[in-house]
Amino acid sequence: MEASVPTETSTFEQLMLPHLDSAYNLACWLLRNPHDAEDAVQDASIRAIRAFGSFRGSEGRAWFLTIVRNVCYSRLRQGKRDPKEVAFEEELHGTPDDAAEANAQSWREAKADLLRVALEGLPREYREVIVLHDVEGLSYREIATVADIPLGTVMSRLARGRSRLQRDITALGRDPRP
Amino acid sequence: MNCTDCAPLLHAYVDGELDLVRHLEVEGHLKACPACRARAEAIVALRSRVRDAVPRFTASAELRTSIRASLQAWVPPVERAKVARFPGQRWNLALVAASLAVALFLGNAWGEHRAQSRLVVNEAFAEHVRSLQANHLEDVVSTDRHTVKPWFEGKVDFAPPVIDLADVGFPLAGGRLDQIDGHNAAALVFRRKLHVINLFVWAAGDSIRLPDTASEKGYNAQAWTHGGLHFLAVSEIPASDLDSFAREYRRRSE
Repeated sequence: MEASVPTETSTFEQLMLPHLDSAYNLACWLLRNPHDAEDAVQDASIRAIRAFGSFRGSEGRAWFLTIVRNVCYSRLRQGKRDPKEVAFEEELHGTPDDAAEANAQSWREAKADLLRVALEGLPREYREVIVLHDVEGLSYREIATVADIPLGTVMSRLARGRSRLQRDITALGRDPRP
Repeated sequence: MNCTDCAPLLHAYVDGELDLVRHLEVEGHLKACPACRARAEAIVALRSRVRDAVPRFTASAELRTSIRASLQAWVPPVERAKVARFPGQRWNLALVAASLAVALFLGNAWGEHRAQSRLVVNEAFAEHVRSLQANHLEDVVSTDRHTVKPWFEGKVDFAPPVIDLADVGFPLAGGRLDQIDGHNAAALVFRRKLHVINLFVWAAGDSIRLPDTASEKGYNAQAWTHGGLHFLAVSEIPASDLDSFAREYRRRSE
């Protein structure tokens, strides 16, 4: 571990920062709120930097996303407020944080679409495998690593998640929300 | 292959995640079955829609900059010993410790939440299907229980009873490590002619009550608990055959 110290920061930059968008996207879909996602990715990056000595050099994206996911789940457990409520409050009152405003904007736009509403409404364990596979393009094996579940569970969750998504899209289309 | 066999594999098929043998089997079935073909096409269409229409949120320049700053501020462990700690560093460490603690707690709570027998059995069915894919069946391939049993030592914190039942038509084929309900499980692999039986064994540290028998999509399961261990046998062989397997295994191990 000590041997890698002199190049640790530059290596981290080369190996992990390319996955920052994947990390942020996952956090957005898990937390359903762009501000929380920024905080979570920031926290996760600090943890990743500190734990980088234990990184064995393969599947860098999966390694980083595992940490991001853990941080997101911790935050969800800690937060008493429903993330949906937070997003709603911010829509009403605007946000003082200019940096995140662009993301908040695209989040609001995203909500307009039926498919996105349906995906946002899926139970988290289905939402995350769909985002990781269909949006981020991770393999089943990488998803198994990130979500800490067996490969067979990745397979069944993706199957059930997609079936539910299809069903919810159909239901939303038939019966639009007020 | 029929529609029942095909259904659980369809998503992995369109995602290109099946081994070659299974892939060709599903492909063969789809050529002959318009209903399954339509299902596969619907999955592909939904997947493309998700890929194209779901927004991929990207990290802001500010976030990137702030993470770079954290990286610059990071003092590797060897050097940290030499420098005096400053409050920010400590606070970060506290944050990391807190997140870790919460993650651990969350992991446990989640494990408990999922400890519903149905989910466990479903998971075992999924594991069984997965084990039938190429290269997943055995980590240690041996028909000799004296090879299989020591292999588990140090990998799981219990000793699964490893018995060869070849004389009654269930030869031991090997074993592998698996996960059931968040616990490390020993999966003992037995054969019944051309079929496979997975016997999952894990420490019964909780109060979950497994159903004695279950079946789903042509797979059968039989469960029992003995000596602080859960046993869950899963196979595509008929329930009556699985029952004789379980009875014989229990008779010799208990």
